[in-house]
Amino acid sequence: MAIIDPYGERFGRAFLVVAVLAVLAGVATAGAYAADPSTATPDPVAYDDAVELGLSSETDELMAGSARIPRVQVFYSQLQYVVGYNGIESFATTLDGDRTERQFGYPLVVYVETFDDGNPGVTDGGLFEAERATEWVPADDAAYVVGSAASSPAGETVVPFSERANAERFAAEHGGRVVDWRAVRDRSFDVDSAATVRSMAPARWVEADERIADATAKERSGEDGGGDRVGDVIVVGEDAPTIDAAARAAPPNATVVVPPGTYEETVTVNESVTIAGEDARVRGDGNGSVIAVRAPNVTLSGLSIDGVGNRTRDPEAAREAAEEDGTWDTNIQLGYGHGDAGILAVDAPGLLVDDVAVETNASGVLLREGSDAVIRDLRVDGSDDWRDGFMGVTGMESRVTVTDSRFEGGRDGVYLHRADGSVIRNSTFVGNRYGTHLMYTGDALIADNAFRNAEFGGITVMTRPSGNAIVGNDVRDSGAGIQASGTRSYVGYNTLADNGLGFSTSARGSLYERNVAVDNEVGAHATTVVPSSRVVANDFVGNDRHAEAGPGALRVWAAGDRGNYWEGANVGLHEPGERAYRPTAPVDAALHREPAAAAVRESPAAALLDRLYGTVPGARSGSIVDPSPAPEPYAPERVAAASDPDSAPIRPDWREELDPATTAATNGMNTHDRNATNETVSQVATAGPRRPADAEGRR
Amino acid sequence: MRGIGKTGDRTAPVATVFRRELATVLRTPGYGVLALGLFVVLGGTLAVGGGGRTGFVPAVVDLLSVTEVVVPLAAFVVGYRALLVDAESGELAVIRTYPVSVAGYVAGVVLARTLAFLAIVVVPYALIGGVVWATAAPDTGIFATHSGVDSPLLYLRFLGLLVPFGAAYLSLATAVSAVASSRRGAVAIAVLALVAGVLGGDLALLRSLASGTPPSAIPGLLASAPNGAFRGLVFEGVIGVSFAPAGEFVDVGRAVGALLGWTVGGLVVSTMSLAYGDRIGVLFEGVRARLPSP
Repeated sequence: MAIIDPYGERFGRAFLVVAVLAVLAGVATAGAYAADPSTATPDPVAYDDAVELGLSSETDELMAGSARIPRVQVFYSQLQYVVGYNGIESFATTLDGDRTERQFGYPLVVYVETFDDGNPGVTDGGLFEAERATEWVPADDAAYVVGSAASSPAGETVVPFSERANAERFAAEHGGRVVDWRAVRDRSFDVDSAATVRSMAPARWVEADERIADATAKERSGEDGGGDRVGDVIVVGEDAPTIDAAARAAPPNATVVVPPGTYEETVTVNESVTIAGEDARVRGDGNGSVIAVRAPNVTLSGLSIDGVGNRTRDPEAAREAAEEDGTWDTNIQLGYGHGDAGILAVDAPGLLVDDVAVETNASGVLLREGSDAVIRDLRVDGSDDWRDGFMGVTGMESRVTVTDSRFEGGRDGVYLHRADGSVIRNSTFVGNRYGTHLMYTGDALIADNAFRNAEFGGITVMTRPSGNAIVGNDVRDSGAGIQASGTRSYVGYNTLADNGLGFSTSARGSLYERNVAVDNEVGAHATTVVPSSRVVANDFVGNDRHAEAGPGALRVWAAGDRGNYWEGANVGLHEPGERAYRPTAPVDAALHREPAAAAVRESPAAALLDRLYGTVPGARSGSIVDPSPAPEPYAPERVAAASDPDSAPIRPDWREELDPATTAATNGMNTHDRNATNETVSQVATAGPRRPADAEGRR
Repeated sequence: MRGIGKTGDRTAPVATVFRRELATVLRTPGYGVLALGLFVVLGGTLAVGGGGRTGFVPAVVDLLSVTEVVVPLAAFVVGYRALLVDAESGELAVIRTYPVSVAGYVAGVVLARTLAFLAIVVVPYALIGGVVWATAAPDTGIFATHSGVDSPLLYLRFLGLLVPFGAAYLSLATAVSAVASSRRGAVAIAVLALVAGVLGGDLALLRSLASGTPPSAIPGLLASAPNGAFRGLVFEGVIGVSFAPAGEFVDVGRAVGALLGWTVGGLVVSTMSLAYGDRIGVLFEGVRARLPSP
């Protein structure tokens, strides 16, 4: 008061100061209008620091060779994180839809890595390769080769150069033509997406059927797993004293018949034979593996195996390999791939394990070096505490098909490492650490399995593979239901009940749909910092919290006007689906547990907040919003069944619903039927909103 | 009269009135409480909305709706009695015996009240901006980050827009204080004007759209009322920057013109009301006297 006394001596000076400040503020404000913040151009960052989207760089074919995917880094106007895209085409396709712009704003600046001095070329497999990338240049300044012989694992690839002459040289050598950035942006690319993976899931199931049919074909082993094989028959105890002796004596395509009884021995199979037991038990000496297979097209059936050694991995081998020059994952391969097992297969493609039981504190079946195997009706009884045991099936660089099997106890039910194209289905996993655990394994199908009491989780996919389909599984009473990382994955039709966590959305550019999360502590957890997946048409009922979000931009869980079903979202005065639902907001999260929350939600304050969320989503953090929650569950019968703890494993009929043949047939019928009634026409119309969603999902 | 009095005989009376009014404002502790309350409201909005955690643009988005209510409210609190008190107490009649014109008197009062308003409103907003500047950061530092188009400059633009917006309402408030004949009447008219200002313009716009006005008229219509003009300018100059350049949210020239127009209009009404209010009253009484009494 003393400083500004209007009648004081110093008032004139004080007033002058205020006036000068006001003028300065005015000038600063005018300056703020004169400067244009939208023209700011940040410099490129180290790619490893960007949040990576687009194709996976951790697929087997990329990590093993010199192949590369040209990369892009993008600075969006509303997103604080620098986004890296593997594959220029995967960035260009995200620009097609308005979804990216709605979520992140527009790209302020785009940099591409160029290959002028990187000795670019094409591998024998048709992938783009280069020794190194030269430099990051603004996308507008680069020249691009499109339509060349070079491709990415997901399809077409665009190769950028900073000098047009270099681009033309590449095009002359490998085909294609040189275009500028505008043409690349406007081009539509033929690349695979999560929707492709979805459409392929039924085909993978059929392919697994074929693999099983091939392996069990009559000329090899006959319907009952023995006896009808073309070739000699050797009966253990009559023609040879031990199974091992019989296997050694047997010529190719012979059948070794093992009569009932217990055989205390270890067996080595070096020929393509069938070993067909009937109530036969093979008991090892507690050291090493019991049956070792080192030949193609071997069948093992009707056996019980115990007496497996306790060594789960081989630190010795791992250490030696680290010193020598191995492949990038030699360490893990030797570590995990060289333990003891009931059945050990090395370089044994075409192996069929049928109706076999293994009691083990190490691996049940260990497959290595291209032992593409079919495993049917295998029962592995592992250690009670997972720390004491190992995997039911360990698959290394082997395409594995597991069906109708059961894995109880032990570390992981099925552990696969670099096992692209594997199928695990119709099996039961009880009391493992992880039920099914994939590392560097893409294009796999995990379907129609039941998981119970998995300590850490039912299904986990680590590293960043691409193209996995996880469909129709039923996980309960476990640490987590499904935690799948990677890219272009499809997680659909799963039922997740009474777990710590239903599912996480760790996989990028992926599709999470028609899952049912019931009575979990947390229904779903949003993990990736920059959202790039679609989460739609899932049902969340009875979870302590329907969904949680880690750090990162706001996730919008809906596609077009279709959202998810959240129990409680429609409580209150609004038309169902009219009002956005935010599972991460305190009031919305309480709606399905406390009716009074509905009254809080109608307060002007809550209404105001409702309005604020969802604006500039890229700059908001740590939350999830569903702008159009569904009025009814998408799969009410599965929700009801999942709420019953004693219900049998749920196996929804996803193959029928996803099969492109049947979908096309129904659509075709409706649109081409001239006598279609208004009712059928309106059915087509109501089905309409799903289709743009699917089309967007393909990006 | 030393210091300011030098500037000339015509401005000297204005300066005197200004000093006197400033002294009145400084002796009203309620205004300090108002500024503090405003700071708390703004801080609370940001804390609950969450926009301030990540940057200036989301912070402005969070504050916009609240601002449209609290800034007019603060303007009315500061201005609704500005010209009424002297008239009521008879001091205005005394002041008028000195060589002070009505316009000079109004200018002095409004200048002092504007300064008070700026201190009450702009300072809390500026402090909030400082808080955002100090605390806004990405959720995680694992990845490389950048600020997008977000920049303190955008918040400065927002602060700049608060001034003409507040000035328009302050001027309307002084007009109310000039027209009203009692304190209670001033409160009633102020509340009415506040509601009409905050909601009325947009309701009228919605109504006219419903009755067939073409959508292309929106930028112009929006710019007419003070709230619409302010909101449109914030979209144009602050929030819209983070969207792809997509055309104009409001007719900028018209919006700026409207805010100035409302300000000038309020001043004119105040002056006219003080200068000719008595004569109009006499006229009014005369008309009433000629009417047959009931």
